[in-house]
Amino acid sequence: MIAGRGRQRIRPPRRGLHGDEIDFESTWDIIQAAFREIHTKNASRLSYEELYRHAYRIVLKKKGEDLYKKVKEFEKQWLSGEVRSSIQLLLSPNLLADAQSVGGTTANERRVAGEKFLKGLKQAWGDHQVCMSMLADVLMYMDRVYCQDHRVPSIYTTAMVLFRDEILHSRTSAKDSRPLLDLLSHVILEQIQMERDGDVIDKHLIKSCVHMLDGLHADDLESENQRLYNVSFEQDYLNTSRVFYRGEAESMLRESDAGEYCRRARKRIHEEEDRCRATLLESTTPKIQKVVEEELIQNRIKELVEMESGVRFMIDNDRLDELNLIYDLNARVDTKKSEVTRAIQKRIVELGTEVNNDAIAASQAAPPPAPAADGGDKPKGQAQEKSLNLQTAAAIKWVEDVLVLKDKFDKVWRDSFQSDNLLQTAMTRSFADFINSATFPRSSEYISLFIDENMKKGIKGKTETEIDIMLEKAIILLRYVQDKDLFERYYKKHLCRRLLMNKSISNEVEKQMISKMKMELGNNFTMKLEAMFKDMTVSEELTSGFKKHVEGLGDRDPHRIELAINVLTSMTWPMDTIGGPGDNDEDRRPKCNFPPAVEKIKRGFEKYYSEKHSGRQLTWLPNMGTADVKAVFPRVLQKDGSFKERRHELNVSTYAMVILLLFNELPAGQHITFEEIQAQTNIPHSDLVRNLQSLAVAPKTRILVKEPMSKEIRPTDMFFFNEGFRAGFIRIKVGVVSSGNKVESDRERRETEKKNDDSRSHVVEAAIVRIMKQRKELGHQHLVSETISQLNGKFKPEVSLIKKRIEKLIEREYLERVEGGEISSYRYLA
Amino acid sequence: MTTLKKHEIEVALATEARAVSSGQLKEDNPLDTSENFRTFCEACRRGDLKVCQEMIQAGVNINSRDSHDYTPLILASLCGHLELVQLLLENGALCERDTFQGERCLYNALNDRIRNLLLSYDYAKSTNPLQPLAAHITSLLTRPTPKTSDITIQAYDQTFHIHKFLLAARSPYFAKKLAAAPAISTWKLPQNVPADSLGVALQYLYLSEVSIRKVTLGLSNEEEMAVLNGIDKIGRQLEMDRLFEDITEVSDRRLLRQKRTDELDRGRHQLENWFRDNVMKNKVIVDTHKVDNVQWDRNNSIFADVLLRADDDEDDYASDEADTSPGPSESSTPPLRATLGPLNGIPVGPRQSRSPLRQRQPRKSTIYPAHRAMLLRSEYFLTMFSSTFREAQDTPYLQVIKLDCSPKVLEAILTFLYTERSDFGLDVAIDVLFAADQLFIEKLKQRAALIISTLGNGSTSAVESENPRGEIDAEEAVDIYEIVRAGWDTRVQRLEEFGARYLAYRLERYIDEPEFAELVRESARRVKARQETDTVELVDDIRYYLSDRFRLRFEDTGFDEMMDETTQIDGDALADADKGVDAYVPDVEAQVAAGAIRTLDGEIAGDEFAQDAINYQILLGKIDRLLENLDLDA
Repeated sequence: MIAGRGRQRIRPPRRGLHGDEIDFESTWDIIQAAFREIHTKNASRLSYEELYRHAYRIVLKKKGEDLYKKVKEFEKQWLSGEVRSSIQLLLSPNLLADAQSVGGTTANERRVAGEKFLKGLKQAWGDHQVCMSMLADVLMYMDRVYCQDHRVPSIYTTAMVLFRDEILHSRTSAKDSRPLLDLLSHVILEQIQMERDGDVIDKHLIKSCVHMLDGLHADDLESENQRLYNVSFEQDYLNTSRVFYRGEAESMLRESDAGEYCRRARKRIHEEEDRCRATLLESTTPKIQKVVEEELIQNRIKELVEMESGVRFMIDNDRLDELNLIYDLNARVDTKKSEVTRAIQKRIVELGTEVNNDAIAASQAAPPPAPAADGGDKPKGQAQEKSLNLQTAAAIKWVEDVLVLKDKFDKVWRDSFQSDNLLQTAMTRSFADFINSATFPRSSEYISLFIDENMKKGIKGKTETEIDIMLEKAIILLRYVQDKDLFERYYKKHLCRRLLMNKSISNEVEKQMISKMKMELGNNFTMKLEAMFKDMTVSEELTSGFKKHVEGLGDRDPHRIELAINVLTSMTWPMDTIGGPGDNDEDRRPKCNFPPAVEKIKRGFEKYYSEKHSGRQLTWLPNMGTADVKAVFPRVLQKDGSFKERRHELNVSTYAMVILLLFNELPAGQHITFEEIQAQTNIPHSDLVRNLQSLAVAPKTRILVKEPMSKEIRPTDMFFFNEGFRAGFIRIKVGVVSSGNKVESDRERRETEKKNDDSRSHVVEAAIVRIMKQRKELGHQHLVSETISQLNGKFKPEVSLIKKRIEKLIEREYLERVEGGEISSYRYLA
Repeated sequence: MTTLKKHEIEVALATEARAVSSGQLKEDNPLDTSENFRTFCEACRRGDLKVCQEMIQAGVNINSRDSHDYTPLILASLCGHLELVQLLLENGALCERDTFQGERCLYNALNDRIRNLLLSYDYAKSTNPLQPLAAHITSLLTRPTPKTSDITIQAYDQTFHIHKFLLAARSPYFAKKLAAAPAISTWKLPQNVPADSLGVALQYLYLSEVSIRKVTLGLSNEEEMAVLNGIDKIGRQLEMDRLFEDITEVSDRRLLRQKRTDELDRGRHQLENWFRDNVMKNKVIVDTHKVDNVQWDRNNSIFADVLLRADDDEDDYASDEADTSPGPSESSTPPLRATLGPLNGIPVGPRQSRSPLRQRQPRKSTIYPAHRAMLLRSEYFLTMFSSTFREAQDTPYLQVIKLDCSPKVLEAILTFLYTERSDFGLDVAIDVLFAADQLFIEKLKQRAALIISTLGNGSTSAVESENPRGEIDAEEAVDIYEIVRAGWDTRVQRLEEFGARYLAYRLERYIDEPEFAELVRESARRVKARQETDTVELVDDIRYYLSDRFRLRFEDTGFDEMMDETTQIDGDALADADKGVDAYVPDVEAQVAAGAIRTLDGEIAGDEFAQDAINYQILLGKIDRLLENLDLDA
């Protein structure tokens, strides 16, 4: 349709609209009647078109405001009249009765009454919503045009506000001036409380009422944070819950043990979560969680942990589940889980200290009363030996105890604490605490002994994995030790003995251990140890080389002595500890007069060696080393009546060999006195005593006969060849008293520590010089902290030590003090 | 911006030319040498809104170019007609960046306002004007409430609820099938056609953009083949021959857009045809008091599910009031009793007529069958059918819903709802405006306002520059007071602006009228109700356009010579037009026609320039005095 030209006119719009004055009152009557029908659920008979048209006309005629007001008035009357009275009917006395009133209603009665009330309210609300949306549909034009233009809230919003005002804020009854809203809150809270006590309630019903509260607002602008639910109900809910849980915590603590408490607490937490989902609003979940956690956990965790049946009990009795529960609960309120951590740490230290004390006690245990008869030396020696053995055993036991403890706590950590990192750090620290504690200074030594024991005997027959596990355990313990250099010292000593005495079962395992230690503690540590091994291998080669050399030399001398040689690099091996007890500073090179045959071979080797490696000096150590001596004993009457010559091979120490060979030239029946032996052999006094003791005193290896037959050796004692020597085996080993690795006596330990301290001084000085060389100038505090951190892997130096070393360095003009300036600082002198 | 090498551009152009000549690609701006288009372009140069609107309604391609390679938009932009540029853009004129024609619009823009307007219409984001219609129809596929579907197709595990009328409109096969058996309520999917294929076909039928890639995503090769085959089969069966072709994926963006535009056009065309042949053709005109006798069965041949009723205007029956409007043409057509379904012939008692005088001819009403599915485009109907009121209930016979407008208006409404066309004339425009406002059909409201503001300038050319002195023809095409009030009542800014401008350009004619004073008073009252400012909005707007009107005189210095030349022509033209005029025209005009240059208050001025300056002052002074008289403080 194209508008033609000419005589087209726009007609005035709309019949009836312009010029016709609309009769407001009669139109409103029609609309009002329709609204009443809607409210009484008769909408299906009404014509939407008609009602809409009436409202439209009114608005178009600029009477929108009147219409709005009338509708509002109408709704208000309806609500305050019809709706309110129907709700009042639901307010039975049962409902209004106070919970604590005497002679009042039973819980069940109140629950039923409450449900009735809630149902009625829900119904009223639902009806209101439906009716209002229909009204809003009819009044759509008014909403869109009038309300927007004049910035008044839409009719739907207004109706919601009216509902709030007329119903929820109305008085409960003539006597009761509480607003209905409060009653509603009260009823809901009551129902929830019943559920907490174990009753079953109608959750849906409550949820619907909660939705109603969520949809209404306290203000007229429908702001987000003014929802009735939050403003009016939620706060009450949180408060009553808090009171409830506080009480519950008290009673639970009284009645049940820690595990039970934890279980119930967890149950409550889950219960609240469910409640928020099913009965209230999800948005309350975090808030109520917080309340529960605060009351049940945060305020009580200390008591809980320290309860009799608390953490300590759980640890001791392996209640892993309960530990898990407590951990979980603690984690909820405290990400650092400080309470549990503290308890665990305390326990570890307690148990660890017990172990320590056991070890100390064991090592100081009075030795069992010595067997009577031989008095004096022997029992004492034996007692001493026994006590030292006891100490060694105590050492090993200590290590094993600690390992057991570690295993136990590891299990707890994995299973109950879900491998929590923080806890692991705490536990490590506790372990380190008691292992390095000042009252127990022997950990390094003990660990080394443990390894030593295993190397010598323990791993016999074990599979590879078991061996590996064992080594791992040792390394684990090693990690805790602070003074690693002390450990190094001990280990070197023990290793040296093992190697030289050939006591280790498997070199492979030794090497394995070294490599593990290398990984753990770094190269520096293991360099010397590896060098020791190298020396051993080289020595083997030397031995075989020398043997060939000798064979190639000439004819076989029947009396030739076979030589197995071990060449030890002097700085690598702990020389000072190799010597037996008592000969430390003096007698560094023990002297000895060897018999000529031995001397000959000795020289032969020296020649051979100097050809191989020129410029090296060899020093013989007769205090180490062994010899196999073939001994022929004169005939003795055998059981069966024949005479038989006895031949034995005696495995003795070098000194013992020298001593025995003295008797070779001795005619039968003759003796040599102690002094003579001393003079001829030049063996140091204490060694001589010990060797003679083992040759003449020790019951099973009396190759010599001593007169008088006493334990002690006096210079005037006489020694005879024991012709009547009997032994079951052909090969007999004559051990030397106390030559094995053992626990040091206190004295020894102090000496070791002193040596350690000395070397520490050197290390500290080296570190200081290194630092200063790099930094040129450095303040005192910085220097100290740097030094400590550099030496962290080895040991923890004391500040006084560092200070002293700095002074020494200044004396030796490595450093100088910087003048001026407040803080003392130093400069490096090239 | 990418830089292309010369040979790359040449290759691209060659490809495009080949595509165009082979018919694949349509030119964005095809050459158009028709008469209509020439008129159109000329009107664009002059800024003649009315002619342009008429041409657009006549169906001219708004994006063609003339023999000088100008598109209408370029012309309007070049000549600085802001309102015309807006009109063109709203009707789908293209101003796409990075195209030859698009860029020309932009850099030719006469002033910044036009330029910004063009830039704000980013084509890349703009949609096809038919998109709202298409979107609504597509939504019918998945909208569960209110229930408007009347046939279901069961396919293995999926059920489709669809509408018979759409099926009939878009698929000839269904049209025939449903014509034969209009009452069927289910249809069975032919064998070995996968459900997915049917889904695709239905989406296509419901004007949705179908991407074959999305459909076959995640399917194995076999399944994909099955689906494609199924689509082919269905397409052929339902006689939607372009189905398969159209859903094939196309990589070229332009081609894709063109395809979619084509398909939407085609769809609308089909729907339009169906609408005219079925809805319009089956309208019933009955005596108003016999309306209740009209009963349509639910199983009717056009699948209507509701009847809309519009009563003839009362004015046509009441005694004459003011205007000599032509008689009601609608009711002069012989009443057709073309009802379908059983007809209850018992008449109901006489209806109460609104008019005080009883006429010999009974008042008539027209009843149109309609489909709720399409009526949902109006929010009013959407609310109505989603509610639980009477109209939403299921009844054995179709309900008759009365609309508060004349049949002509109702037709315009229905046409718009079904086909997105809004080609009604000025005579019903205001009624349509109000109806659309009441029924909350926003787009229709805007179009009605557009028609009023473009066509409402009367039969003479409404170009401002040619009519600066506010000379008017004898006959007023519009009652401007009505228009302004309508703009207020329906909250359409455009009409308020139009009204203010109209008045400003003819202010001398209106300023002294009592109705004008009344209008100003009303405007002041409105503002008070809104509590915004202290000014009278209408007066402010008039002042603004007044300055606009006279500014044109002051700005172009070269205008003086032109004015000297054209004064004579002007005078002649006016003299011609004045011939048939009545006492409306003040004496001044006659004097001017006689060649003397006079100001509004009758004084003789030196030349047009001076005349205008003085006239401007006079008019401003009159406004101030009026405000004083009305006790308004502005």
